[in-house]
Amino acid sequence: MPKKQPLLTVLNILSALLLTGALILILFFTPVEAQMGAVQKVFYFHVAAAWAGMLSFVVAAVGGILYLAKREMRWDWLSLASIEVGIMFGLAAILSGMIWAHPIWNTWWVWEPRLTTTAIMELIYLAYFILRGALNTPEARARLGAVFAIVSVITVPLTFFSIRLYRTIHPVVFVSSGSTAFTMSPKMWLAFASSLVAFTVLLAALIWNRTRLAALQAHAGQEEN
Amino acid sequence: MNGFSNYLHTLWQVFRKDLQVEWRGRQGLPVMLVFALLVVFLFNFALQLTPGLQAGLAAGLLWVSLAFASTLGLNRSVSLERENHALDGLLMAPADRSAIFFGKTLSNLTFTSLVALVLLPVFSLFYQQNMLNPRLVLVVLLGLGAYTSLGTLLAALSIQTRTRDVLLPVLLYPLALPVLIAAVEATRGILAGQTFAELQSWILLLIACNILFLAAGLLLFDTILEE
Repeated sequence: MPKKQPLLTVLNILSALLLTGALILILFFTPVEAQMGAVQKVFYFHVAAAWAGMLSFVVAAVGGILYLAKREMRWDWLSLASIEVGIMFGLAAILSGMIWAHPIWNTWWVWEPRLTTTAIMELIYLAYFILRGALNTPEARARLGAVFAIVSVITVPLTFFSIRLYRTIHPVVFVSSGSTAFTMSPKMWLAFASSLVAFTVLLAALIWNRTRLAALQAHAGQEEN
Repeated sequence: MNGFSNYLHTLWQVFRKDLQVEWRGRQGLPVMLVFALLVVFLFNFALQLTPGLQAGLAAGLLWVSLAFASTLGLNRSVSLERENHALDGLLMAPADRSAIFFGKTLSNLTFTSLVALVLLPVFSLFYQQNMLNPRLVLVVLLGLGAYTSLGTLLAALSIQTRTRDVLLPVLLYPLALPVLIAAVEATRGILAGQTFAELQSWILLLIACNILFLAAGLLLFDTILEE
C-alpha cells in the first residue's frame, strides 16, 4: 500500500493554520472599505479561490503532458485530482463573486469577462468528467483525458481574452485609474497576500490528498473515473 | 518518395477520399445544409426576427447555424471511419498520423464552407443585408478553419467513447467559444461597415486560434488514435 508521506501531514496542518490566520486577518485586521462596506471582504477569498482554480487547471495540463511523455498512471492521477479540486475552487470563486455582485452591481449575475470565463471553464472541465466516464479502460481515460486537459488549457486564456475584448465592467484591482478601480491599503494587501498563500498551500494539500486517494483506489483494484 | 512528399500525399488522399465518399453517397452535406436552414427558421420564430434586424443579430445567427451544422459534419467525418474498420486501413498509411488530421480538417472545412456558401446568399435575401462581401468571406473562412480544426481533433476523441458522437457538442462548444465570439464580432463589424484595421483584434484572434488548434492537432492527433 502506498504509504502516507510525512510531508503531506505537515501540508495538511499548515493549510489549516494558514487558512485560519488569513481568516482572522480578514475579519479583524483589515479596514472596512469606504464605499462597498463589509461585503468587500469577500474579495480576499474570492480572488484566492479563482487563483487556486486557474493554477490547478495548469497543473492538470502539466500532469497531462507528463502522462503522455512518460505513460505513468501517477501523472494521470495528478491531472484528475487537479481538475476535481479546480472545479470546486472555480465554484467557490463564482459563488463568492455572486455574493459580492449582488449588493455592488445590484444583480447576482453579470456577463463580465472573469466571471463568464470561470463559468465556461467549469463547463469545460465538467465535460472532462463526462469524457472520462464514457471511456472503458484506465489507459484510454488517462490518454484522452490528458489530450483534453492540454487542449483546454490552450483555449481558456483565449476565451478570457475574447470576452474581455467583448466588454469589461469588472473592477481592475492592479490598475489605480478608472472608475471601478479601488486601491488597497497596506493592511488589505497583507490580508490579500495571506489569502493567496493560504489557498495555494490548501490547493497543494487537496491535490496531493486526492492523488493519493486515486493511487490507493488503483492499489485496491477499484478503478473509478 | 521522401518523407515530406509522402506526408502531403497521405494528406491529399484522405481529403480526396472524403470528398469522393461525399460525392458518391451525398449523405453528409445535404443534411448539414438542411439543418443549417432549419436553424435559421427556428431562430426566426424563437427570437421574433424581423427583416430589418440589426447587423449584430444576423451575424450571431449565421455563426450559430454554421456551428450547429458543422457538428453534424464533424461527427460524420469520423464515424465514417468507424464503419467496417475503415480507420484501421487509414492508420496503415505510411506517414505520420497528423497527416490524417490535416486531410480530415481540410475536407471538413470544405464541407462547412459549402454550407456557408449557401447560407450567405440566403441571409442576404432573408435579412436584406449584403453578405456576399469578400471581406466577410475571409472572416467566414478563418472562423470555420479554427472551428473545424478544433472540431476534427475533438471528434476523433469523442468517437472513442461509449457514447460515440453524442459527446462532441459538449466537448466542442465550450472550447470553441473564443472562435465563435471572435467570428461573430468580426462579422458584425463588417456588416456594420467597419474596416479590417478596426477589427484587427478579432482577426488576429481568429488567426491565433487557427495556428494553435492546428498545432494541437499536429502534436496530439497521433496520441488520440493510438489503440
